[in-house]
Amino acid sequence: MNGMNHDISIRIDGHSVPARPGESVLDVARRAGAHVPTLCHDPRLEPAAVCRSCLVEIEGQARLQPACSFQASPGLVVRTDSPRVRKHRQVLASLYMADHRLADGLPQRSPAGSSLRGFAKAAGPLIQLHPVHSPRAGRPGDHNPYIGFDPGLCILCARCTRYCDQVHGAGAIALAERGRATTVSTNGGAGLLHSSCELCGGCVDTCPTGAMFDKKPSHHLPGQLRRVRTTCGFCGVGCQLDLNVKGGRVIKVTAPAPGQTINDGNLCVKGRFAYDFIHHQDRLTQPMLRDGDGRLRPSTWPRALERVATGLKRVQERWGSGALGFVSSSRCTSEENYLLQKLARAVFGTNNCHQCAAT
Amino acid sequence: MERKNATREQVLLLLEQAGELSPALVRQVERQTGVPEAEIWGTARFYSLLSERSAALLLCRGLTCKLAGSRQLAAHLEQRGEPYRSVSCLGQCDRAPVALDQDLLVRHGRARGAVSPDDPDLPINLAGQDDASFAALHRARQLGPSAVLDTIEASGLQGRGGAGFPAHAKWRAVRAQASPLRHVVCNADEGEPGTFKDREIALRRPYRLIEGLAIAAWTVGAGTIHIFVRGEFPRVRAGLEQAIAAVGEALSGLDFRFVAGHGAYICGEETALIQAMEGRRGTPRIKPPFPTQVGLHGQPTLVHNVETLACLPSILLRGGEWFRAQGRTEPGSKLYCVTGHVHRPGVYELPLGVTLDDLVDQAGGYVGSPRAFCPGGASSGFLPMSMRDRPLDFQGLARIGSMLGSAGVVVMNDTVNMAQAALQQSIFFEDESCGQCAPCRIGTQVLRQALARFLAEGSPGALNGLDSVSWEMEQASLCGLGMVASRPYTSARRYFPGDFQPASSPEVS
Ligand SMILES: Cc1cc2nc3c(=O)[nH]c(=O)nc-3n(C[C@H](O)[C@H](O)[C@H](O)COP(=O)(O)O)c2cc1C
Ligand code: SF4
Ligand code: SF4
Ligand code: SF4
Ligand code: FES
Repeated sequence: MNGMNHDISIRIDGHSVPARPGESVLDVARRAGAHVPTLCHDPRLEPAAVCRSCLVEIEGQARLQPACSFQASPGLVVRTDSPRVRKHRQVLASLYMADHRLADGLPQRSPAGSSLRGFAKAAGPLIQLHPVHSPRAGRPGDHNPYIGFDPGLCILCARCTRYCDQVHGAGAIALAERGRATTVSTNGGAGLLHSSCELCGGCVDTCPTGAMFDKKPSHHLPGQLRRVRTTCGFCGVGCQLDLNVKGGRVIKVTAPAPGQTINDGNLCVKGRFAYDFIHHQDRLTQPMLRDGDGRLRPSTWPRALERVATGLKRVQERWGSGALGFVSSSRCTSEENYLLQKLARAVFGTNNCHQCAAT
Repeated sequence: MERKNATREQVLLLLEQAGELSPALVRQVERQTGVPEAEIWGTARFYSLLSERSAALLLCRGLTCKLAGSRQLAAHLEQRGEPYRSVSCLGQCDRAPVALDQDLLVRHGRARGAVSPDDPDLPINLAGQDDASFAALHRARQLGPSAVLDTIEASGLQGRGGAGFPAHAKWRAVRAQASPLRHVVCNADEGEPGTFKDREIALRRPYRLIEGLAIAAWTVGAGTIHIFVRGEFPRVRAGLEQAIAAVGEALSGLDFRFVAGHGAYICGEETALIQAMEGRRGTPRIKPPFPTQVGLHGQPTLVHNVETLACLPSILLRGGEWFRAQGRTEPGSKLYCVTGHVHRPGVYELPLGVTLDDLVDQAGGYVGSPRAFCPGGASSGFLPMSMRDRPLDFQGLARIGSMLGSAGVVVMNDTVNMAQAALQQSIFFEDESCGQCAPCRIGTQVLRQALARFLAEGSPGALNGLDSVSWEMEQASLCGLGMVASRPYTSARRYFPGDFQPASSPEVS
């Protein structure tokens, strides 16, 4: 079964389901097809169990327990859909709605950004409570070009802060203040450019509400964009990313969901935000050769390679192999780098080769 | 991510010593400790004694101080041009109404409350002569750990911090852990409104506490003893430090360390306490694992309340059975704090399971005609006088949806409107919620705002939905604070429905 070792079984809603000891009840329940809503859960992060959306009934436990952190043990009996669990979800969703706006009608801000809406809709008719207007501070003076924070939408799930600490290792943002005033902050509420933030955008990707959002303007509602999976060209790692496309134009870039690709849902600032060049008028889209008059003119690949080969050979003949040096770009893959040093050593007989990421 | 070899546990101390919080100070502490600046900022801003430093007096807005006239004290301060800030209960309820100065010493307040008269047959005996002979520690060493454990088990000692969990079970759990590095933590963060018994123990009988700690540490095999003292109790810490410094040989081999609280009630919760000791935001952790398994720095940790520890010396000297026999419905004697509408507020050591009337007898009787009482601080909600002859014990009160908790008994007479009193307690929980989990963070706001709206407008419609919200807080909150934070409202509504009728809103005196 999935190549995994299932030594035990637990009961979920009356069905016996194989599980590994120590696995979270959430993982087992989802494998069994049970619906357990989550907001603060991200498989890349240590469980925080603070959003309380995933609480389930577990036999022998007086209190409802968070499926995301409760560990499977032999014979555990779990109910994910009892009247008590349903009432809990309904009231919890009502509480969230008293404190948080939904990103309804707003342009799509982040891939997971509609999780709160999904939770609230599935929780059934809500109890109408007066809005509480928690005094959560934003960072109005933060003029970084990429990442915005809208405290009105934030549910304090701490996915962004845990991501920044546990996955990206930047520690640029953290929960600050206490109680009703709790918010996400940098040191002193400074802009991200004045923090250790590397603008990786992982906090945006993991945010379940759209509170942490991609600032680049987009007027497209969720569902209007087509996603095209591709490989990032900025370096040799090979991160997968999704181009969000409309009418043949890349509108934005998002990371594939965690667990699907080698980059596990992570990207860096270049892969995520540096896509403006794609449709830029100055972008080179074909080889260019300099004419006798010194001007660059479009050409073909065979002619361009021919020109390079001739030039290299000329230098070698005149000054010897030691006069040549080969430097490859960090955008190249390992295989490409291998080929380049092969060219240097085997064809031109020099050890003068270097890769810019080698130092 | 913190730097390798980061010294996170220093963060709060460095901030405390440095003065006014600023981003520049935070950067300096980042350089000193290796903890990222955002986290230091976020941690500092969690604690009110670090984030709000000013020359203003701290005026208590707790229920007991309200009953005793904190409003008049506020008016008096305004008249004299003394700036003040209203804060959560300061643990000086016997002296209500109270205001502290910048050094966190009482500036305005009555004389300290009464305690039970000296009686050598009381297990703690606050009024007795403190004794640094460490005879009980010697006795424990003679008996050996397993006999000590049996003695504690025979005594029936339950934790006095609120939950009433059997002490011996926690000791055995710590001893069963493989890790040779273990800790004992003394929880002296006493913050439950109406409670000031731990303060009195530490001030009057420091050696009872220190000896109790030494016995616990020796029995469970812990080398380090950490004493976490509420930040607003500087005298308590100074007194204990002095007492420890004055002891020679008897404590050799034990490393005593002090950690100061920085103004957050939630840090009394044991996992939040551990977070604070590690230099983090005082947000409770998910249990399991329990501190006995994964505690301070991930190592097995025995956390006990001051009073629990102070019971140990007499248990060892006079035997488990003797201690058990001191109780009425449950084992041992208990320190009951009593404030509000009684003549002699104070701390009284009585058999566990006495009634409210027994207790108030000790405290000189009721002031006016009693109407309601909290048996154990804000967390226990309110009970009507029809329950005045119920035993004040752990199990009996839990059965009726209340709790003995810290035994901070507050008495209210018929001048008090219970919707107003519920609002008062709701303000406390809203201010002190750590804000980590949604049911408590949002629920405490919904409750407080609805009660305030009801009292302002007199329309019961303002309270719509509160039953469901209270249910959810109790069912789904991550820690004990959120679980009980709706009790003042639910109990007041249940026992005093008349106070929730349209337009009934006289003020608390
Ligand atoms: C919100 C909250 C506040 C608490 N405050 C205190 C406190 O101020 N002092 C204390 O000893 N225990 C407090 N506790 C209980 C502790 O979590 C813990 O159970 C206790 O310190 C264990 O000691 P004991 O076994 O001696 O009772 C609190 C619990 C909760 C949920
Ligand atoms: S963009 Fe990356 S580094 Fe910056 S705050 Fe978000 S997660 Fe942290
Ligand atoms: S910004 Fe988003 S990810 Fe961060 S705490 Fe708020 S809701 Fe969670
Ligand atoms: S119940 Fe309240 S105090 Fe406890 S973890 Fe949740 S928000 Fe914090
Ligand atoms: S997903 Fe389990 S508590 Fe948030």
